[in-house]
Amino acid sequence: MQLTEGEGRALALALDGLCKSFEATRALDGASLSVRAGEILGLVGHNGAGKSTLIKIAGGLYAPDAGVMRVFGQDVRFNSPHDAYDAGIRVIHQDAPLIPAFDTVDNCWLGRPYPRRLGMIDRAAMRRAIAELAAEIAPDLPLDRPVAELTIAERQFVRLLRAIADAGKILILDEPTAALPAEDAHRFFDILRRLRARGTAIVFVSHRLDEVVEISDRVVVLRDGRTVAELVGAEMAVNRVIEEMGGAVEAAAERTAIPQDAPIMLSIEGLLTPELRRPVTVAVSAGEVVALYGLLGSGRSSLLNALWGIEPTLAGTMHLDGAPHRPADPHDAIEAGISYVPADRHRTGLFAGFDLVFNKSLPLLANYRRWARLPLPDAQRERQDFLAAAKQVAMVFRAPAQLASTLSGGNQQKLIFSRWANRHSKIMLLDEPTEGVDVMAKQAIADIIRAIAADGNAVLVSTSDREEALALGDRVLVFRDGAIVAEFSRAEATPAALSAAAQAKERAAA
Amino acid sequence: MHHIGRYGTLIAFILLCAGFTLAAPAAFASQANVFNLLQQLATLSIVATAATLVMTIGEFDLSVGFAASLAAVICFVMFGAGAWPWLALPVALVAGLVGGAANGALVAVYGVPSFVATLALGTILSGAAFGLSGGGSLFQNVPAEFTALGRGAVFGVPVLAFWIVAVMGVASFVLSLTEFGRHLRAIGGNALAARLAGLPIARDIIVTFALAGGLSALAGLLLAARLGSVQPQMGEPLLLPAYAAVFIGTTASPTGSPSIPGTLLGVAITGVLANGMTIVGVEPFVQKMLTGAIIIVAVLVRRLGRAK
Repeated sequence: MQLTEGEGRALALALDGLCKSFEATRALDGASLSVRAGEILGLVGHNGAGKSTLIKIAGGLYAPDAGVMRVFGQDVRFNSPHDAYDAGIRVIHQDAPLIPAFDTVDNCWLGRPYPRRLGMIDRAAMRRAIAELAAEIAPDLPLDRPVAELTIAERQFVRLLRAIADAGKILILDEPTAALPAEDAHRFFDILRRLRARGTAIVFVSHRLDEVVEISDRVVVLRDGRTVAELVGAEMAVNRVIEEMGGAVEAAAERTAIPQDAPIMLSIEGLLTPELRRPVTVAVSAGEVVALYGLLGSGRSSLLNALWGIEPTLAGTMHLDGAPHRPADPHDAIEAGISYVPADRHRTGLFAGFDLVFNKSLPLLANYRRWARLPLPDAQRERQDFLAAAKQVAMVFRAPAQLASTLSGGNQQKLIFSRWANRHSKIMLLDEPTEGVDVMAKQAIADIIRAIAADGNAVLVSTSDREEALALGDRVLVFRDGAIVAEFSRAEATPAALSAAAQAKERAAA
Repeated sequence: MHHIGRYGTLIAFILLCAGFTLAAPAAFASQANVFNLLQQLATLSIVATAATLVMTIGEFDLSVGFAASLAAVICFVMFGAGAWPWLALPVALVAGLVGGAANGALVAVYGVPSFVATLALGTILSGAAFGLSGGGSLFQNVPAEFTALGRGAVFGVPVLAFWIVAVMGVASFVLSLTEFGRHLRAIGGNALAARLAGLPIARDIIVTFALAGGLSALAGLLLAARLGSVQPQMGEPLLLPAYAAVFIGTTASPTGSPSIPGTLLGVAITGVLANGMTIVGVEPFVQKMLTGAIIIVAVLVRRLGRAK
């Protein structure tokens, strides 16, 4: 095994001055980066800084409006993801699909011509090829078990293995550790280091800045679609990176304190659900925003799910405004005065093929009856109410009859928010409310959330975005492994404290 | 251009009618033939309406034909026994509703894929129809009032035409203008989002399948009234044309979703095609092949239109 030399190695991927606009928005405005064979490059930036557009261009999904791309010294122009693949570029998303019933070997060979012997698929040769690679980079990975039985981390190793098994020279890893517990992230890094030693070029894209700093040989910072800094050696410190990124999301300094005598709107005592390992007790006042921060699988959304009636309560009690709350389904939760914005809106919130009014009025449809006793919605009233709600959440749209799929991500999210506008609910539950929306929309949604709290709601925000937890929470509860492991007041909450609490002890000590 | 995509199916239907009118003006465009067509298509329209409801929530019901057969058999067995003939209709309809509700419960409560649940339950219904009928034809003691439901005429128009209008009119109203219809479309659009938005989706699914079973039973009864006799397999040939009609109908919708007007158009196209081809003397086997090809072309044209 050789050690990395950085400079001495071939320039694997060079992107220079990339520009890309979508209608009026400029996603990239002169972004550049380069990565050598046998190097790990960290790529960071806030949501909307242009990381995902850059990844999509490198992966052949978008063509840049301007700029130059070179792969191993050759100018390239990708017309499709297929071209990027042929050039040796592998973009690996954390949830890239694997075939659950196939084992590691079969998943690694998927989509490639199988080795054959006497006209039959030569399974032994397939296994040999993968076993050789695996021995080198991930010796503990089970090869013959269906990936459905593997851990999340092991599946991530399978994705890496698959990428390099088929001549992948340049790996672009998009948030590869987002779903991994800390000890698994370390195993993952060991594998990346071995890949680096084999001469693979790696671009590591992540929000977890401490990890980026730890694993990368160099860090490139994007801001507003531009490359604003390239940090090496001692410059690679988390604080410096944050500074270059443009600072943390502006904390709402003008946020008024919750009055001491604000009534308790929600109290949860000893709550246990299948996703929680230790009972949770928490009380939230009217007008208070509590951020539930943790990684995927930490149990941070369990309170929301239990309150909304989609996760069973095994033990404990919940009270809303003094009244016991034991919802069998979301309908009970709505009746009790709860509003909810689910995570992953495309899968769980949006009716993409339906118009905006349909999307807005669905959960409270019975409020639009023309005659109270007949279940016939009054289209006129629905439309008026939609227009008022859209204004309240500052949604940008062409017409109420346009399909929800034609809105931008931020406006789709506002559409989901608009369902509950003007409603006097008691509790607002928000799961990853700004996931996948741009910076401007993120700010706008933060404003909406503060307005909801100011209206007297108790607000619970479940998030895996540390900056969001800091920006929104009057209090931050940190979840790890199905339990609350720390609680911070607004004054105590700092990025470092949150990260240390959210990750395993071993890491916090390091 | 997108108007062609939207109205293409309707235009195709008009062209089809125009073509057959030119080819066989006397036979095709006659009042007698139109009335005949309406009578033939009534049962298919009602079964296709049942299929449309179930497809609106994104599910399949393969038991519609079996439910139609069983309802007709139950009714005629009661006629034959001569006991309470006036109870025969409600009992047969309730059997359809109950069978459908059982389908819905398997799907909504136990999570059985609708394809499997309705195929299995349909097979049970079919067995019951054979058992009750003894396997042969039933035609005894049929009251004239009953056959009038399928053979009579009102103001000179076959009574079955009114059944089409009534059933499809009510179904269309329910789907597009009521809360229940809105729920069904939401479930079909995104079942998980519908559940998280607080819709009572288990109840909605069970009611939808029950309605489909009840409508299938009604179709079976009307078919029996028109023919005056019943065989335990008489409803089965309705299944595939019903879904063909729904699929052709989806090509008339901007989002490719099932709708009652679309299904009506689908029934009309398949019906006119079969009727017209018979009149101009196309061999039955060629008719079948052409019908299949036309469905594929309709869906393909639609897909290609949308890809742009």
